[in-house]
Amino acid sequence: MLVVSNIDLTTKLPTMKPAAFLKSSIKEATLNLNNDYRYMKTGYYVSMHAEILGNPVIPSSGNIIDANRTPIMLLKASRNGIPVLPYLVTGSVKQIMATFSFPVVVFAVNPFSYDGYKTAKNRSGLYRAVKSLGMNYKFAVCTQPLIGRMISFKSFFGKCELDDSLKKISEKVYSIFKIPICKLHVQQTEGNAYLCGFQPVKKDELLPSDLKVISEEISQIMNHGEQLID
Amino acid sequence: MNNSLTRIACFVEKYNFTDPREEKALENFKHAAEVSGHEFNFLFRENISEIPKYNAVFIRATTDPLYTAYVVSRTASELGLKVVDDPESIKICGNKIHQYALFERYDIPHIPTIFINKEDLHHKRLLAIFQTLGKPVVIKAPYTSFSRYVEKAACETSFRDVAKRFFRKSDILAVQQFMPTSFDWRVGVLNGEVLYVCKYMIPKGKWKHGAKRRGKPTFVWGRTLALKRENAPQALKDLALRACEVIGHGLYGVDIKEVNGKYVVVEVNDNPSIYAGYEDLRNKDLYGKIIEYLAD
Repeated sequence: MLVVSNIDLTTKLPTMKPAAFLKSSIKEATLNLNNDYRYMKTGYYVSMHAEILGNPVIPSSGNIIDANRTPIMLLKASRNGIPVLPYLVTGSVKQIMATFSFPVVVFAVNPFSYDGYKTAKNRSGLYRAVKSLGMNYKFAVCTQPLIGRMISFKSFFGKCELDDSLKKISEKVYSIFKIPICKLHVQQTEGNAYLCGFQPVKKDELLPSDLKVISEEISQIMNHGEQLID
Repeated sequence: MNNSLTRIACFVEKYNFTDPREEKALENFKHAAEVSGHEFNFLFRENISEIPKYNAVFIRATTDPLYTAYVVSRTASELGLKVVDDPESIKICGNKIHQYALFERYDIPHIPTIFINKEDLHHKRLLAIFQTLGKPVVIKAPYTSFSRYVEKAACETSFRDVAKRFFRKSDILAVQQFMPTSFDWRVGVLNGEVLYVCKYMIPKGKWKHGAKRRGKPTFVWGRTLALKRENAPQALKDLALRACEVIGHGLYGVDIKEVNGKYVVVEVNDNPSIYAGYEDLRNKDLYGKIIEYLAD
């Protein structure tokens, strides 16, 4: 299996840089390791290139797009048994207020914003959130009720060092989207956790301990020859 | 044809109704659906949650994997609805890097193309690109549509200037040979069948069908000359169908250049423009055929 990585791993396993892979025609199952899999970024193009070569690849370009579009991510997650809260895609503040009571959490559905979310406790806060994330009402936003506390955490190959409900969500998200490195936004209430959002991890957010976890995971995959079937 | 009623949602944005020619075309779609006994409703972004109430979704708003239209397409597809444009077509047509890589793999004659990344912006590489493709070259951002984000560069300075702008959104760009022609062929294809054929004329003194007026924000568009599809050259139609075959079975507008009697694909667009009195002028049945496909 070929590991294409833009991250300096702690193992001595052979890896290839994305730029070299993109110029190659290597036909081999590919593990695409990147901190940023956003559409049109190098992480996306590596998966796309592998698919065009006919290589099985983790993650697939389709999953990359789906995971990074909040409404699609939530739809796929809920259809696969991950707890999610009701959500509404719209650019209308009125419609949001008619659907949910405050507070709410708002995610962007525009081509430019890819990280974070905004919470709104009242009408004026909601107007501000929709105006900002909808880029002056040009794009829709994805709104969910805020019933618990928002937790954001990094997930590597579906693993995280948090409590069981978050671990479960992290594992399930990986089993659906197969994105090796990501950050998840989850709402936690007493006893329940609900997936809310997904975003890439910035390179400087990857700590030495994270690199160690990622490297160990890759070593295990290489040793056990995990099937790259999406 | 399926005689049972199909509920068709046509996803549009407000801008789809600003041009009377497009508004008329949308009315024509609605009329074609209703005379066949189907329901045809316009769906705006505020009503996306109503998608499950429909059997088919027809997208007329601009598509791109980063736009709301993709959310609509992917949602409809995930729910098992028939959808034009389908998510895979949007993914491939919305990213010209993906598209040209497929043309390369499946040997579809297309404009000579080189992919570049940010590391390629150095003198030696640019020199090699100019030597291979000649001067000027055309730099194309993967998300180009309506002739935007496609610019000429005849020297290293302008090459770097254009590329740096386009690299803000995409880590890879396409650089192509400059092939000036007086018109581009536009072949409308649906599910492996030619729907319409037009010539998109290039405005005088310009090199694209849609070109910005000097010093003004407005665009000037070339004329559209429609042909009966049976009167269009067979080799042209065959190439259009071959190019679509590697993408999918949806609705496409294939742009083709004719150079020295040979045809080369410029690009395949999903969500092709359909304006009343233009693309449909010689092939009025295109509305019915698209509705029939959605209802099938």
